[in-house]
Amino acid sequence: MIVSRRSLLTSALALGAMHAFPRLTLAQARRLVFATFTGSWEEAHKDVLVPAFRKANNNAEITLDPMLSMDQIAKVKAALQNPPIDVMLHDPGPALQAIDQGLVEPFPVAKSQYYKDLIADAQEPMGPAPFFQVVGITYNPDKIKKPPTSWADIWKPEYKGRVGITNLNSTLGTGWLVEVARMRGGSEADVEAGFKAIEELKPNLAAVAANPGQLATLYQQGQIDIGPGNFNAIQILKARGVPVEFVAPKEGAIAFKTTIHIVKNSPNVELAAKLIDASLAPEVQAKLMESPYLIVPTNTKVKMAGEIARALAKDHADMKKKFVFQDWKKINEHRASWIERFNRDIKI
Amino acid sequence: MSARTDTATYDLKLALPLAAFFAAFFLAPLFILIFVSLHTDVSMTKMGLTQYAKFLLDPFSLGVLGHTLWIGVEVTALCLFLGFPMAWAYVRSPRWAQAGLVLVILLPLLTSVVVRTFAWIVILGRQGIINTALIELGVIDSPLRLLYTEGGMVVALAQVQMPLMVLPVITALSRLDPNLLDASAALGAGHWRTFRKVILPLTFPGIVAGCLLTYAAAITAFITQTLIGGGQMLFMPMYIYQQSSTLNNWPFAAAISIIFLAAVLVAVTLFNMVGRLSKGYAQA
Repeated sequence: MIVSRRSLLTSALALGAMHAFPRLTLAQARRLVFATFTGSWEEAHKDVLVPAFRKANNNAEITLDPMLSMDQIAKVKAALQNPPIDVMLHDPGPALQAIDQGLVEPFPVAKSQYYKDLIADAQEPMGPAPFFQVVGITYNPDKIKKPPTSWADIWKPEYKGRVGITNLNSTLGTGWLVEVARMRGGSEADVEAGFKAIEELKPNLAAVAANPGQLATLYQQGQIDIGPGNFNAIQILKARGVPVEFVAPKEGAIAFKTTIHIVKNSPNVELAAKLIDASLAPEVQAKLMESPYLIVPTNTKVKMAGEIARALAKDHADMKKKFVFQDWKKINEHRASWIERFNRDIKI
Repeated sequence: MSARTDTATYDLKLALPLAAFFAAFFLAPLFILIFVSLHTDVSMTKMGLTQYAKFLLDPFSLGVLGHTLWIGVEVTALCLFLGFPMAWAYVRSPRWAQAGLVLVILLPLLTSVVVRTFAWIVILGRQGIINTALIELGVIDSPLRLLYTEGGMVVALAQVQMPLMVLPVITALSRLDPNLLDASAALGAGHWRTFRKVILPLTFPGIVAGCLLTYAAAITAFITQTLIGGGQMLFMPMYIYQQSSTLNNWPFAAAISIIFLAAVLVAVTLFNMVGRLSKGYAQA
């Protein structure tokens, strides 16, 4: 056989490509892939959810592929017929986008063991909420002796140059703007009052962080002393000895449902549903509620305890009273124009 | 002349694998990007040029583009101002000192951009090194705002991109024949005249290469721009990220990317033209 240089080169390239991308030859029959969030969420899910799921499902293989909500959507959208992910995790804004764009398979509610035990706000047939994220006021107790009690405290003149917020790219930033607008008579559809309030906040603003992760680290640098903050992000800093405290304001802490979804056209639909069910199980949620994870449970069978009971709510009835939920369907309709406005108007 | 043509064809064949790689992983995505940018709506059903019109007719968006390109100029100028003497010092040092200097110059390249940028947060913060030092020396009473300012960001970017300027300039300077400087001095030129008439023209290609690299790196430095500039200072990379990732508006994000690419290409062409002009100048 005479092998021409060209064909030799082609086959060498093909062989090389197969080595570089082994998935080319194994397109089908892959293990379950769960795109959790990065950072502490990944740790929590690796330590608690994955072992519980494998124990309940005959040691089924699972891969965690942590990434941001928007990256999950982009990846699924790019390969809709053969998605690289089976289970997605989303904040409320991206969740609605994923559902609207047809990237989500309904959760088989009837087959679920725990779905009916979830609190009403967490029951979503397109993807239930295994936990909440909570936004309240974060402050540095070394510098601010009297704990703040209301969102309005952030505007106090004594905090001149010490307040940090994020821009509207994050769920935290957008949700907070809506809450401030509500406090001053606005709503999810009308945040005019919120923009005005941020305008008034300018003398106090020391930082508009690009994302919540960056915002949290600014407490460590002493760059800011007070501002809206994510309960879980603050717990991580606190565990590392940074002087930060979280309080739920009297107007109510903002709660975001974090929802978990089966990806459309997933080759592992059944296992995906089982993983979601495992995330709703009271044992799993109870364990995730403990330190160091401190993840707010949604299953009513879980008894609130520890830091969550102390700082947020002592039971699920209390939670309903103290948490503020927002209408993200409405928020999503306007979010693009708000971001544009924030781009233009907020310069410090 | 014929020998030269032979070499040329041989060269081209050798470049085939790279060209194939380039076509598959650069040109193809670029065409997809252009295709996406030519849609008028977010769900990409209708074709049209509205995304480009939306950007090019909007003073705010043009402002973001202009500001981004200007930041690049500032960073490049600062890099050149600080980097040229550094390159000069390197070339003029004895061998043992060069080993140390090259480590200093390359060190930034050996640590991740994220780490270097975080170091700048520590330096520029309210309780950072600069503010603490100034307060303890009694120069200021309350901390200055350095983080999240344009000045702070330009300085941080300049440090982060410095090796890209220094290395090409070192290459150019080390090819400079020291006899030329002696000759210039012997003919009666002072230091400044020698610098302007001999050193600068002969090292100009290196300076242009350094400026090009620094400029391109500075305007696209998403991480440093975001972490030091903060969430309220909008530059093109962040603008693209915001539109594509947060708002899922891929057509507009793609259009912004193409416009940004075109603007950078224009800037690069200008640099290259200056470089080519200087070649004639150096040989003349």
